[in-house]
Amino acid sequence: MWDVLIIGSGVCGAATARALARYDLSIAVLEKGSDVCYGASRGNSAMVHGGYDPDPGTNKAIFNVLGNRMFDDLCAELKVPFERSGTMVIATNEEEMEEVRRLHECGLRNEVETLVLDRPALLERWPDMGKGVVGALFCPSGGMVCPYTLVIAMCENAARNGVEFFLNCEAEKVERVEDFWRVTAKDGKVFDTRVVVNCAGTCADVFNNQVSEDRFKIVPRFGSHLVMDREFIPWVDTTITQTPTKLASGGHTKGMGIMPSVDGTVILGTDAEDYTDPDDVATTRRSIDRIVDYFKTFWKHLPISAVYPEFPVSGVITAYGGLRPHPDRDDFIIGEAPDAANFFNAAGIESPGLTAGPAIGEHLGKLIAERLSAKKKADYKPGREVLPTFRTMTDEEKSRAIAKNSDYARIVCRCEQVTEAEIRDAIRRPVGARTVSAVKMRTRAGMGRCQGGFCQSRVVEILCEELGLTPLEVTQSGGESFILTGSCCEHSFPEADEEEKA
Amino acid sequence: MKNVDLLIIGGGSAGLAAAAAAYDEGIRDILIVERSDYLGGILHQCIHNGFGLHRYKEELTGPEYARRSIEEVEKKNIPCLLHAFAISASADRIVTVVSPETGLLRIQAKAIVLAMGCRERSRGALMIPGTRPAGVITAGAAQKYLNLQGYLPGKEAVILGSGDIGLIMARQLVLEGIKVKEVVELMPFSSGLTRNIVQCLNDYNIPLSLSSTVIEIKGRSRVTGVVVAKVDENRKPVPGTEREISCDTLMISAGLIPENELSRSAGIRMSRSTQGAVVDQNLQTSIDGVFACGNVLHVHDLVDYVSMEGEAAGRNAARYLKGAARQGGFDRCIEVKEGPGVGALVPQYVDLSAAEGKIEFRFRPRGRYTGSEAVLLSGDEKIAAKRELIFTPGEMCTMSVDAAKLKNAQALRVEIRPVGQGVQE
Repeated sequence: MWDVLIIGSGVCGAATARALARYDLSIAVLEKGSDVCYGASRGNSAMVHGGYDPDPGTNKAIFNVLGNRMFDDLCAELKVPFERSGTMVIATNEEEMEEVRRLHECGLRNEVETLVLDRPALLERWPDMGKGVVGALFCPSGGMVCPYTLVIAMCENAARNGVEFFLNCEAEKVERVEDFWRVTAKDGKVFDTRVVVNCAGTCADVFNNQVSEDRFKIVPRFGSHLVMDREFIPWVDTTITQTPTKLASGGHTKGMGIMPSVDGTVILGTDAEDYTDPDDVATTRRSIDRIVDYFKTFWKHLPISAVYPEFPVSGVITAYGGLRPHPDRDDFIIGEAPDAANFFNAAGIESPGLTAGPAIGEHLGKLIAERLSAKKKADYKPGREVLPTFRTMTDEEKSRAIAKNSDYARIVCRCEQVTEAEIRDAIRRPVGARTVSAVKMRTRAGMGRCQGGFCQSRVVEILCEELGLTPLEVTQSGGESFILTGSCCEHSFPEADEEEKA
Repeated sequence: MKNVDLLIIGGGSAGLAAAAAAYDEGIRDILIVERSDYLGGILHQCIHNGFGLHRYKEELTGPEYARRSIEEVEKKNIPCLLHAFAISASADRIVTVVSPETGLLRIQAKAIVLAMGCRERSRGALMIPGTRPAGVITAGAAQKYLNLQGYLPGKEAVILGSGDIGLIMARQLVLEGIKVKEVVELMPFSSGLTRNIVQCLNDYNIPLSLSSTVIEIKGRSRVTGVVVAKVDENRKPVPGTEREISCDTLMISAGLIPENELSRSAGIRMSRSTQGAVVDQNLQTSIDGVFACGNVLHVHDLVDYVSMEGEAAGRNAARYLKGAARQGGFDRCIEVKEGPGVGALVPQYVDLSAAEGKIEFRFRPRGRYTGSEAVLLSGDEKIAAKRELIFTPGEMCTMSVDAAKLKNAQALRVEIRPVGQGVQE
């Protein structure tokens, strides 16, 4: 019998697991993907929102603001890159400026500082701002984080404190048995547990509606992002978005924006389109074109247009899609289901969910620990052990790192300058990488401008060396996603065989 | 800090030729820095033949061609640092290298030859929509698995791109027992050599679909198929022409991009047209004493030309070390512009004070032109011309011009224009 079973290892599942890992409890996390952080927390804009815009008093507003304030300490403890690079909404006409002032007012009520900048004030700090920009809202507490690094780090921290992760394990049914819950996975595995935490992202409605009459619906809301090469980052120092727009299908989107990722690439996006399939993150021509077309026009407003007058489409290195779990209630659904004791939801966690997630995890962790009268562990270990990133070291640090571990002198991924030391560490750490994609998520090997063309074969070899696999067993992302399909020497020549027989 | 007269970054065809040529000019303090654990670069995985026809007047395989270049350097005992990755460079010619043998090493060079080669355009850069399954692979990566590691990257493939690499890999996949269902080409023509279309596609009954592209990738674990559509004259997919081809592999061979991150870190001026450094006729970049050659400068069609350009860069670097080459950036140079029909032009500057012998202008035609000539113009005056039966983007064009003819030149321009009734196809 588990004390707590968490369905889903996105930002909320990971944060809840980490919060509860401080207590003397047995905790399991079920993840249907081949790696942790496989859904909405993986494919998003990577923004840490200030929290000025959600309607005051809503869960979105409360947890966004609380979450934002946690990021400095959280990322320092977990060694996750995070930058308060600010977020800006630009206005190109008086109507949009009106919206900027409304957002500022909203921020005051949420106790989030924002600055309304008229054009002269804007030009003081961003002298290259496009001619058509009349003013802007700047939120200094906004920032950028690497979403999957954050979630993976929280999982590693949880794992080193005893939380068990079950990957490739898709929960299918939650039911009440006597005074506990029974969770059955697709492969037949059964988990009995005192408490269930439903952090199932786009599938969260399924589990809630199995146990509660207080039903809700999650709409998978799709959006794409484009990633641009590092060469553009010097001219993108803060996130710049258009003024937000209401969506006809309910809710709103913060609209298209350009974001400086903490890893030195530039992210563009995103659009919003309601889907029915909770797992369909395939990018579409329609969606990519929407972003490309938007930036062909929007580009002229951005400071970078002083250096690159036109949107440089050839600078795009990849595109990715993601689904936000949009709840029909239009607000985060957080807490115990009213008619299902010990079944807790963190559902409908769309934007600003990445920012709010850590605070949601703390909140649920506290509620559940109290409910179970759990005691704090004496031997709780904060943080995580991770080898430092080679690319961001100074030359002196690089020298020292190589002296200690010569694998640091072997660059595997040229584009992102990822070393063999980091790749081996990613495989050896708790909740370690088992696939090419999991290595990429932990180290950035294969995430750069060549997209793994040069380094993938070496990553496959290292996975084999570390895990005792043959290259034919290595997958890109679990299941049947084999990278290779056979050996060259295993030829069968049907015609030759026939001749021989004859 | 290590000091060296000539530092060569990259031990592929360009770098090896540069090292050998500089040695022949009397330079002895040379160091080649190579990121792999062997010299010769990408040639080792190009096991097909067709290399060396221009330089050696015989037909070699990639590894054979590489062997000859390596032996040149070995004979001369030119030092090489293998498994060494140049992580950054500065404008004062200090290059930071890491290798297991040396750790982090800073090298101060009097002259540098950049010869880092190129990378392949990926699925991401092409922004092909769809899922992200295993089985989407570039031609070079497939070649590495097949020829260096002995593994098959798939069972049934569709190939995107019909340049020479795509064509040659189509044949090799067939020979390895992989079914090649179709080669898909965005342009209305293949940019590959005719002999490759005949020997690699026609001989194996592989269909080639022109004016077509892959508009979607399907499959959640491994590729299960791709959707191909016709494109219009603006290369936009035509609705209603979509068809799905089932396959487990999409092999992409859709162009090469010079790898200039190191050049950018040194602040070298770059060309948006070649995606390589801007150079003068001596292959000298905007930084004095830094030269570029091979695929890092502009993408070549034949390795022979890469080697020849490498030799030129090596000779010019030697002349620079002896005090005989340009100093002071492009200040005293005149610019050479790309006119109609001309792309990826090298060099972009001519240093008249140092102009002697022949100057070679290389470029890629932007389209297919018949009955046309390439001309070098100074203002409206035609200085040189070159006729071809056909100009095509797949073949790099070289125009050799007497330096003496450029004495009074100003505002140079290269363009492709009709001869008499010549028309653009």
